[in-house]
Formats: sequence, C-alpha cells, structure tokens
Amino acid sequence: MTESLATKIDPSLLSASPGSDDAEACMDVHNLNLFYGEAQALTDISFQMKKNRVTAFIGPSGCGKSTLLRCFNRMNDLVDSVRVEGEIMLDGKNIYAPDIDVTSLRQSVGMVFQKPNPFPMSIFENVAYGLRLQGINKRRLLEEKVEWALKGSALWEEVKDRLDESALGLSGGQQQRLVIARAIAIEPEILLLDEPASALDPISTLKIEELIYELKSQYTILIVTHNMQQAARVSDETAFMYMGEMIEFGKTNQIFTNPAKKQTEDYITGRYG
Amino acid sequence: MIRQWFKSGTPWIWLNAGAVSIALVAVFGLLLLILFRGMSHFWPADVEAFHYQNDQKAVTIIAEVIESETVPVESLHSIENTHGDEHGNVTRYLVKTGNRDILGSDFRWMYDIDLVKREKPENLMALERIEWGNFYGYLTSVHEKDKEGNEQLIASEDEAWPEFIRRLHLSNDIREQILQLEQGDIGSINYQLERIRLKEKRLQMDDALTDGAAKGIAEKRKQLKLEYDVLLKQTQKLYQQINRDSIKATVMDGSEVTIPLEKIVKAWQPNKMSVPNKLGFYMHTLWSFITDDPREANTEGGIFPAIFGTVMMVILMAILVTPFGVIAAVYLREYAKQGALIRIIRIAVNNLAGVPSIVYGVFGLGFFVYFLGGNIDALFFPEALPAPTFGTPGLMWSSLTLALLTLPVVIVATEEGLSRIPKSLREGSLGLGATKAETLWRVVLPMASPAIMTGLILAVARAAGEVAPLMLVGVVKLAPSLPLDGNFPFMHLDRKFMHLGFHIYDVGFQSPNVEAARPLVYATSFLLVVVIVTLNLTAINLRNRLREKYRALDG
Amino acid sequence: MDSNSTSQHISHKFDEEMEGLRNQVLKMGGLVEQQISGAIEALQTTNAPDAEKIILKDHKVNALEVTIDEACTQILARRQPAASDLRMVVAVIKTITDLERIGDEAEKIAKMALSLAEDDVGFHSRYAGIRHLGDQVKRMVHDVLDAYARLDVDAALKVVRDDDDADKEYQDLIRMLITYMMEDPRKISEVLDVIWAARALERIGDHAKNIGEYVIYLVKGKDIRHLDLDEVEKDILS
Repeated sequence: MTESLATKIDPSLLSASPGSDDAEACMDVHNLNLFYGEAQALTDISFQMKKNRVTAFIGPSGCGKSTLLRCFNRMNDLVDSVRVEGEIMLDGKNIYAPDIDVTSLRQSVGMVFQKPNPFPMSIFENVAYGLRLQGINKRRLLEEKVEWALKGSALWEEVKDRLDESALGLSGGQQQRLVIARAIAIEPEILLLDEPASALDPISTLKIEELIYELKSQYTILIVTHNMQQAARVSDETAFMYMGEMIEFGKTNQIFTNPAKKQTEDYITGRYG
Repeated sequence: MIRQWFKSGTPWIWLNAGAVSIALVAVFGLLLLILFRGMSHFWPADVEAFHYQNDQKAVTIIAEVIESETVPVESLHSIENTHGDEHGNVTRYLVKTGNRDILGSDFRWMYDIDLVKREKPENLMALERIEWGNFYGYLTSVHEKDKEGNEQLIASEDEAWPEFIRRLHLSNDIREQILQLEQGDIGSINYQLERIRLKEKRLQMDDALTDGAAKGIAEKRKQLKLEYDVLLKQTQKLYQQINRDSIKATVMDGSEVTIPLEKIVKAWQPNKMSVPNKLGFYMHTLWSFITDDPREANTEGGIFPAIFGTVMMVILMAILVTPFGVIAAVYLREYAKQGALIRIIRIAVNNLAGVPSIVYGVFGLGFFVYFLGGNIDALFFPEALPAPTFGTPGLMWSSLTLALLTLPVVIVATEEGLSRIPKSLREGSLGLGATKAETLWRVVLPMASPAIMTGLILAVARAAGEVAPLMLVGVVKLAPSLPLDGNFPFMHLDRKFMHLGFHIYDVGFQSPNVEAARPLVYATSFLLVVVIVTLNLTAINLRNRLREKYRALDG
Repeated sequence: MDSNSTSQHISHKFDEEMEGLRNQVLKMGGLVEQQISGAIEALQTTNAPDAEKIILKDHKVNALEVTIDEACTQILARRQPAASDLRMVVAVIKTITDLERIGDEAEKIAKMALSLAEDDVGFHSRYAGIRHLGDQVKRMVHDVLDAYARLDVDAALKVVRDDDDADKEYQDLIRMLITYMMEDPRKISEVLDVIWAARALERIGDHAKNIGEYVIYLVKGKDIRHLDLDEVEKDILS
C-alpha cells in the first residue's frame, strides 16, 4: 500500500534563476553595442558579472565573445575603426567615460591571452614587469611579490630555482601559468581569460582549470572558451552568444541541463549547424 | 635526358655556385692584390750595386730593384742612345736610387747594356730620413761637435757602425722629447693663450671689460709667458744636444757627404740582415706606418691621423644617426596614422638612399657649414670672427652629413625590426597597464635591437667608404692636430681631420712622386679595408649577442 | 523549451545512437506490455503453460535492461551529452529500471496464475475486479510508453494522475477480497494469491506513473517527483 507522498516543496526551487545567490555584482553591462566602422559586432549586450565568480562565454566562432571580453579592459581601443556605445560599470564608474585612465583600468582588469606571450626576459622580470610599471623597484619587495604571484599560479615549485633563466625556456603550460602569475602580480580585481587553455595539452588544460578554481576566491574571473565541457566544468555562470548577441545568460547548472532558449540548446547538444 | 636535368633544377644550383665562386674569387683576389702590393713596400729589400763599363767610362749605381721587364731593343732607340744596329731584347730595371737631394729623382730606369757586374755589398747602408727620402751609401765615420762647435772624429771603419746606431737611438729619443714638448706642452700653452685672447675680445665686444678683468687677463698672460719661456729653454737645450752628432757617408759616385743625425729616422744594412732580422724590421716598419704622423706631403711616414680621423668620424656618425633613425622609424611605424601621407614619407625616405653622395656634400656645405655654422659663430663665437669656428668644414659637419646619408638605411632596418615583433607581445604589455611609450621602451625596442644593429652595420659600412662628400665638409690633406687631445674641451668638433679614403686619393693622384706613392696607396687601401672590416665585425658580434638574448618567439 | 528538436546532431553517429536507444526502450516497453497482457490472461484462464511461458520470457526483459543500461553508459562516457540529450539518457536509465520491475511484477502475476492452476481452482467471478484493474494498469503502461514515444507531456501527466484511480481501484479490490476471505476461510490461500496478483498490478501502475514523471522531466526539464500535482500542472501547462 503506497500512498503518494506529494510533499509540498517550495516552488521557487522550480526556477533557478540567475542572480538568486548572494554574491554581489562586480561589473554591470548596460546595452553595450560595438561597431567596427559600419559593421556591428555586438548588439545590445546587458548582464551582470558577480564578484568572485567565474563567468564563461560560449558560442560559435565569430559570435563576438572575444570582442566582448576585450571591451572590459578596453583593448578594443587599439583597433582604429572601433566605436562603442552603452556602458560598462565597474565599481560604479563607467569605464568608457572620457575621463577614465585606461592604463590604471588595465591594472584593475588583467588579461590572459590565448597563446602564451611571455616577454623575452627572465622569469623573474616577466612577473615583475607589471610591478615595475607601478614604480615598485626595491628588490626585496619585488621578490616577495613575485614569489607570491608564482605561488598563486601554482608555478613556484617548478621555477623557484631558475628565476633568472629566460621565460622562453618553459613549456607551453608553464608559460601560460607564468603569464597568469604576471597578471595576478599586480592584484587586479578582475581577470579576463581569452581561451587560456586552447593552445595547451589536456593535462596542462586541467591544471589551468584547477588554478581558475583556486583563483576564484580572490578574483572575479571571466573566461571565453570554445570548449563547452570546459565552460561546464569551470564556470558558475555561463553566457551563450551568437552573432554578436547574448542569447542566454544563466547559472551553468541550468544552462547545461535545461537551457531556456532553443538556440542555446542546439549549440550545447551539438545540433548547431 | 637533358630536359630531365634541366627540370631537376640542377643547372640553377650550378649557376648559383658559379656566381658565388666568381664573387668570392674577385673579392679575395682584390684583397690579396692590394695586400701583396702594399705590404711588400715595407720589406727591407736588398740593395745592389750595378757596375757598368763601356769604352768611355765606368759607372757604379747603387739602388734597390723594384721591377724588371724585357723589351725589344727597337723601342729603346727613341729613349736612349744605343748602337744603331743591335737587335733582340734587352732587360730594363726600375730601381730606387734614393738620394733625391743629390740625384734629383728617387727612381729611374736602367738597362742591362754594358752591365758588367751586379753585387750586394755587405756594408751598404740604407737610411730613412726626415727629408729627401731614403739614402743609400757606405758609412765612413761618425762625428761629434764639441763645445766650441768643431767637428771631432769619434769612430770610423769597423767601430763606426755600432757607434752610429747607439747615437742614433739617443738622437731619436731626444727627438721624441722635443716633439712632446713642442706639440704637447708648448701647444697647450698656445691653446690657452688663444682662449684668453678670445675671452678678452668677447668682453671687449660686450663692453664688459672691467679693469679688474683686464688685470686678471694680463696676469694670466704673464704667467703663461713665463711657462713658455721655461719650456723654450728646455727645447733649445735639447736641440743643441740633437745637433751635436753627424755622420759622413760615401755615395755611389765616390763623393762624400755629411748627414746630421737629427735628420735620420732609421738606419740599416739590408744585405747583412738575416731573415728573422728582416722580419723584425718589417714588423717595426709596419707598426710605425700605423702609428706615426705623415711626412713629406704624405709620401713618407705613418698614417695614424688618417686612421684616427676615419674611426672618430664613423663613431660620431653612428652616435648621431642611431637616435635619429630609431626615433623616426618608431614614429613612422608606431605613432603615425597609416595613410597616404605616411606612405609618401616612406617613399621619400627610401629615395633618399639613392641620392648621390656628392649632393649630400654640397647640401652639407651650404646648409650645415655656411648657414648653421655661420649662425652658431655669430651667436656663440663672435670674438673669434672673422676666423670661423663652426662656420667652416669640420668633424662635426662631416659626421652630420654622413649621418644624413645613412639615415634611410637605419630607418628601414629599424622599421623592419619593429614590424617583426608579434602583436601578442605588445598586447601583453598593454594589458598589464603599460602605456604605449612604456611598451616601446621596455619590450619592443629591446627586441628590435638586433635589427637596429643591422641598420647601424649597414650605415657604418656605407659611411666609412664615402669620400666625395667629405672633401667638401671637413677632410683635409694634412691636419695640424687630432680632433681629440688633452686640451679642454678635449673633443674639438670644429677641427678638420684626415681620412683614409681621402688619403688614398690624395697620395695616389695628387702627389708629386708617383713611384714612391704607389705602394703607399696599396698599403693605405688595405688598411682602410681592415678598419672597415674591424668596425663591421665588432658591430656584427654585438648584434649576434643581442639576437641570442631576444631569440624570436614563435609568435 | 521545446525539445522536440527535429534537427540533427552534427555527429550522425550520435543521432543513430540516440535513435537506437529510443527504439530499444520502446521495444522493451512493447515486450513488457505483452508480458502484462499475457500474465493477466493466464491468471484469468488459470492456464499453466501460458503462465510458464510468461515466467520464462522475463529473462528477455532483464537482458534488454542490461543492454540498454550499457548503451546509456557508453553514451555518457563518450558523448558527454548536455541539456535534452542528457535528460533523455538519464530518463532512459530510470525508465528501464521501472520497466524491468514491471516485468518482474508481470512474472509474479504469472506465478500466481500458476499457483491457482496447480490448486485447480477456477477463477471466481469475485475476482473480476482484477480484470478491471489489470485493464486499467495495462492501459497506463501503454499510454505512458506512447507518451514517451511522442514526448507528450499531457499524456504523461494523465498517466500520473491515473495512478490515483488505479490505487483507489486497488483499495476497493482488496477490501472486497478481504471480505471474501473472512466469509470463507477455506479460500484464504487462494484469495491471498489473488491479492498478491492485485498488489503486483498496483505496483505496475506505480511504475507506470514513475515513467510518466521521467517523461515530464525529459521534456520539460522539471523533476516533478514528490510534488503536488496541481501546482505542477499549473506550472507546466502554462
């Protein structure tokens, strides 16, 4: 004899909407539009990035995810024909306001690129580069910070005996971790990772993912990846972009088990195309 | 089958190899030629005595054989008086008889008609003199002037030679001291006197010549005059010493001449010297060629001032061209908006490299020397006028003109280097909060330094060989002093200087004594090549080290 | 979200694998339906040979469960399915468990039929309720498999609701059988067999309801187990 045990459960659990946990907002994007000359690359992007969370951007090639990422530290300014409309608020200030000092913005919003790009200097000098830019030149202080940064990027044990050797002698995975150390040495608020593991072998990739998980507690991380499983493994929230628009933004769990939009579903299940 | 061979590309490889071989042979052949012809000049050749005897007279000619060739007798009829009905060939010799003060010319042709004997007398002596070139003869005796001024015989016969050599060393030492006093110390005093004069004139012009100042100047003058007197006395004493000794020697026609020791630089007995001796002598002569000052309108002595002037000018040019070139390239590539205007500028820069160098010389003369130099003189050196300081060709303007000449090369090489640097490195630096300037200075330029060095190497190679523009803007046949000396401000950029390339032209084509000059031309050419190669190798070495340091990333 | 995406995966092989999975499930469902029918028939006619056939056939159901389970594991390992594909695989794994249990219950019914046949007892008319319950449950299984095949949420929800009716039916039947047992204690062992059979049918109904819940999860992405149905209906069908 069974009785149906229809226990009453809070219906709000039925819909796991983004923004329902208690992390505070870190970066707010309002109606961002980006143009390369006449061509529109980003259309009406609006979302909120949470502090100390990992947000992933996924989408097919050319959907604008890297372009969007580069908006956050204004690297798109380097392209002549770029025009940006809308706002990106960081700590209450619009980073596209005309009175913003771009170099200090970039010290708060660090970036790691797809292909590791260490400078042709020693390992120590690479990590100290950003620090020297800020005027820190005392050897003792630099050594402390460099050690801290290398430990933070899980590279210290491997290079502590050869800090003065050229950075170009490291393997690909090590170079990428070096570049991450270089970025976190100046203690930014936000880290932008543009396909950080796509040029690496699987083991190095997993190490980087593990590192991202550890870094989450100190930094807010934005990662662009074309590897969906990586986005699923690593991020707390995921945004799906297509042709310059943000189709869906939500908790990673939700997106990968029951996305709201058919386009997202198609992309995630491999029905895209 | 032939078609197969053609298709496989083998004929092209052969053509390549052939072209490279021809080029190498040509280059090395040239170098060996000038090496041989130039360096053989310093070898102490044997001196021979030619004994002629015919019905009328017996003649002995003492000389060094330079060349010999065989000619048919008929061609001689117009030159020499010979017996009309002789046929066949005759050998003639180009010999250096020296003794230009006695014979009138250094070199002459001689024939083996009526040649009775050729021998190499052991006691034959060769002298290198301050004036009148070499001397060949037999040493007779050594003499000394006593306090009354009478000649005393010191040694003769077998003792003469060692005594002569001993006194010659002493005399050379004293000459060194005199030179040091005259050019160094007395020269310094003269220089200071000149500066005081200019200062006084300047104060006069500004109407600022107070009594106090005038007195101070007069005092300084007096003090310098006192120093000068002391030095003068010293030199006079040394002159007395050096005038004391002399030798008597017998020349080829049997007559005796007196040669004061102060006129002799070196003495040797060529036929007595063994090969190691000659080798030592050779090295010594070579060394003095490189380090001594020139004599006899550049046909004798060393070419040190020319070497120094060349190197000095090239270094100054390098110092001037590098920052200009690098900054221009950085602007063109990094900062300027890439549009039609920039392309035009780039084309103009590239065309600048094709302008003939003499045009640069004229430009340098007109703009730098007359316009800029004239204005500088009017502004900063009015007291020296009407004698120009910078309003006349000099080291500064020469280096500047050549820097302009080689600027396009440096710009192009630097731009090349800058464009090779992957964008990812620049982005990496910018992403860390560096400004564009900081990125350039800390990352991009160090990485481009091998390319900049390449540009510099090419610039040096081009500039070191240019002579035409220099003739207009700063090089002279004989410079009174080096541009770098011990007097403040130590580097005299307004002085004229000597240059190896110009030296070759001058010695080869403007000198009165063609035969004496020819081996010098070869020797100087070879030296010029050596200097340029050394400069290039240094720069290449530096560049290779930089390359290792910044070994290119794969993107 | 409409997961009736008829668009194909970029990987054709994946499409084939998912299609194969679906077909296997439907095949297992068809087999199980047959088992139920046959078992109820055997019970009513107390036909021993038929009952034995049903009992033997159960191993086919079990084999299918193992096969489909393996296929699901493979898909999870190699395809890392996401969203609707993931829900499909998860739903299938759960569904075949319930289907296998249904098969076991059908086997139990057949065993009861065998016992009745051995006792040489006819099928009393008082047992007619079983027929009714059996039909109902059979219909539920058929409908839920249909709902699975067509990914029809309404039909699945109906089956979920129908289980209440089936439960009620069962309660009535039990009451009746208990009364019969009390009237004639000699019939107790026979009636007990019938009661076990009825219970098995009720269980089949529960399993069918479960499968209905999985279908809703598959299509809608909502896990409605243990929830109030009215709320669910409002939520899903709005």
